[in-house]
Amino acid sequence: MTTDSAHAPSTQRSAESGAHPAGSRRAGASRPRRPRNRDSLAGYVFLSPWLLGFIGLTLGPMLASLYLAFTDYNLFTAPEWTGLENLGRMAEDEKFWGSVRITLIYVLVGTPIKLAAALAVAMLLNYKAKGTGFFRSAFYAPSLIGASVSIAIVWRAMFSTDGPVDGTLNLFGINLGGWIGNPSLIMPMMILLAVWQFGAPMVIFLAGLKGVPAELYEAASVDGARAWRKFLSVTVPMLSPVIFFNLLLEMINAFQVFASAYIIGSGTGGPGGATNFYTVYLYTRAFANNQMGYASAMAWVLLLAVGVLALILFRTSRSWVHYAGDSK
Amino acid sequence: MFRILSRRTLTGVAALAATGLALTGCGGGGNEPAALDTEEQITLNYTFWGNDDRAARYDKAIEAFEAKFPNITINDTFTDYPSYWEKRQTEAAGGGLPDVMQFDYTYLRQYGDNGLLLNLEEYFGNGITTDAIEESLLATGKLEDGTFAIPTGYSAWSVFQNPGLLADTGVEPYAGGTSWEEYNTYMASVTDATGGTVYGGTDTTQRIQDLELKLRQDGRQLFTEEGELNFTQEELADHWKEGEANRDKVTVPQSKLEEISPVSGFGANLTTSEMSWSNFLGGYLGDSGAEEITIVAPPTSNPDEKDLYRKVGLMQAASASTEHPEAAAAFVDFLINSPEVGGIFGATLGIPASETQLEGADLQGPDKAVQDYLDSISDRLGEAPAAPVAGFGAIEQTFWDLGKSIGLGTVTPEEAAKQFFDEAAVTLGS
Repeated sequence: MTTDSAHAPSTQRSAESGAHPAGSRRAGASRPRRPRNRDSLAGYVFLSPWLLGFIGLTLGPMLASLYLAFTDYNLFTAPEWTGLENLGRMAEDEKFWGSVRITLIYVLVGTPIKLAAALAVAMLLNYKAKGTGFFRSAFYAPSLIGASVSIAIVWRAMFSTDGPVDGTLNLFGINLGGWIGNPSLIMPMMILLAVWQFGAPMVIFLAGLKGVPAELYEAASVDGARAWRKFLSVTVPMLSPVIFFNLLLEMINAFQVFASAYIIGSGTGGPGGATNFYTVYLYTRAFANNQMGYASAMAWVLLLAVGVLALILFRTSRSWVHYAGDSK
Repeated sequence: MFRILSRRTLTGVAALAATGLALTGCGGGGNEPAALDTEEQITLNYTFWGNDDRAARYDKAIEAFEAKFPNITINDTFTDYPSYWEKRQTEAAGGGLPDVMQFDYTYLRQYGDNGLLLNLEEYFGNGITTDAIEESLLATGKLEDGTFAIPTGYSAWSVFQNPGLLADTGVEPYAGGTSWEEYNTYMASVTDATGGTVYGGTDTTQRIQDLELKLRQDGRQLFTEEGELNFTQEELADHWKEGEANRDKVTVPQSKLEEISPVSGFGANLTTSEMSWSNFLGGYLGDSGAEEITIVAPPTSNPDEKDLYRKVGLMQAASASTEHPEAAAAFVDFLINSPEVGGIFGATLGIPASETQLEGADLQGPDKAVQDYLDSISDRLGEAPAAPVAGFGAIEQTFWDLGKSIGLGTVTPEEAAKQFFDEAAVTLGS
């Protein structure tokens, strides 16, 4: 979740740059670049610590893993080139497809619910009432700690047999037993855990809501629009860039769920493989089974799959994301 | 404010988020050997797997070692068994294994054959005393190029029971060494008597040791001499199917075990019995808080067959890349031979392999029970299987995971058997 909070300030910066006259963005793009410009040299010098880190800690390992993806590498002996064998194995690996299915359910069900919760609470907090500052912080807090190991352990205890959740449900005559050991209830629990961390998208939604001009609502009221119509015809279109941003980020985040799944599933994808998320399976292949080549191939398949999904989102966004200033 | 996001910002953010997906590796570090100088301050990293009970014992042992060698400081860390090996694997690839490690026979070939472990033979009689260790036990740490680990002790497969828990049920304790039917009846009686609050035992087909026991009772081994699986997919499916009746209503449900993991059903007082290695006694006492835990022989289908064996499990090993091999050897020697360490650990690392340590251990109470148990089954102790094949650790874990999945009903025994064979083909083939 730290990636989200790190991006929050960047939206502020873009807000400042948004103060430039409309159209400057397009002008900027067509301006010829001068790489030998002293300003840009200074810029790169200041960037160098990050650049070094990026090349040494991100780009280098990424290239290494790209190579390993086409090898059989058990960590102990030198990698052995096997070409596309890892991909072939993946296609026939039932556990791999199981992990793909689980991860897609988590992403496709969990992300919309999380965003809906974030938007709903953001709209409530957008009303000027006493204590909204407190509630804003209170709702944001879980997203700061949600990905931590301790929270996963607490949730594990909460959803065990005779734990607080089971106990409360029993009061209402619902006897589900523990969720942790039940392969069909563990996914709803994982999604709940994700939804509970709606704070980061909520804060971004809230910022977006504050930017919707009040006169649009007033005009809509004059035309006789009720709350639901105002939501559909004013809030959603005006908020669509923010919705798109949140959707993209949350989707990418959801694909990477690891720590909570690892802890809750005892690191083995338990119960019965129900928490064998893509990343958990990748980790198991790499570090429990010593199949680094296979794991690297999995990592690249994930990267490409997420890239393709992001591309599809970008493509479809043209029809539903409304940027103020665009001519449509 | 509604202009805050341009398409370009979004593209940039997406690119950043995507790079976050990349896997990162880990760096290594070179080192040079240094002589053991009594003046020099040396710090050794030591790591082990286990529970709080074992950690407390190690703390005492390290204290005693540091008192003997004031210039050596031991930094110790511990985790549970599966993550222990995940960590070592990463360190092995990065060249950063701890100086000294609690080791497992299962992984000896993988690490020793790849030059990751210190050849302790170079320090025999010169830092490490081997006189007090029986030849056959010492030989378990031997590979083609040298001796890379020394066993702390040995154990044997056994049935544990919790008399305190059993007393409440009114069921007679399982006598041990009888037929499987009798053990099954015992487990069923306990579960019936409590109405399912406490169970008679845990699924006896779940672990690869369960299968090994049954194979050995038929005079067979788990692996062929060539290191291939010595049973068929159909036999494995049948093995898992045998547990069906017990899983349905006798043994502790897997869903409950998932919740208490990494503690076992017996450790969490959910069952009155469990099969495991005899050196688990100390851990079980710690986990369950029981006053007493008894230990008897596993059931058998063939009392004349030598189905059990002295299993070397826990070992001590040092990293080939340690900067202080002499100090590391001294610490290994201390852990293996010191009577003081024997007194601290008792039989919790197995019945001590070293005579001097065994004397110091002065086994009493539960540890004495382990030794008495090992004495009692001497008729059933046969030849130990050959050193585990490379990758046995992964195979063992896969077997167990599939056994658990069968318990949860997410796979059938047939599907699980197929998955196991597919998996083993990859692991053993590489």
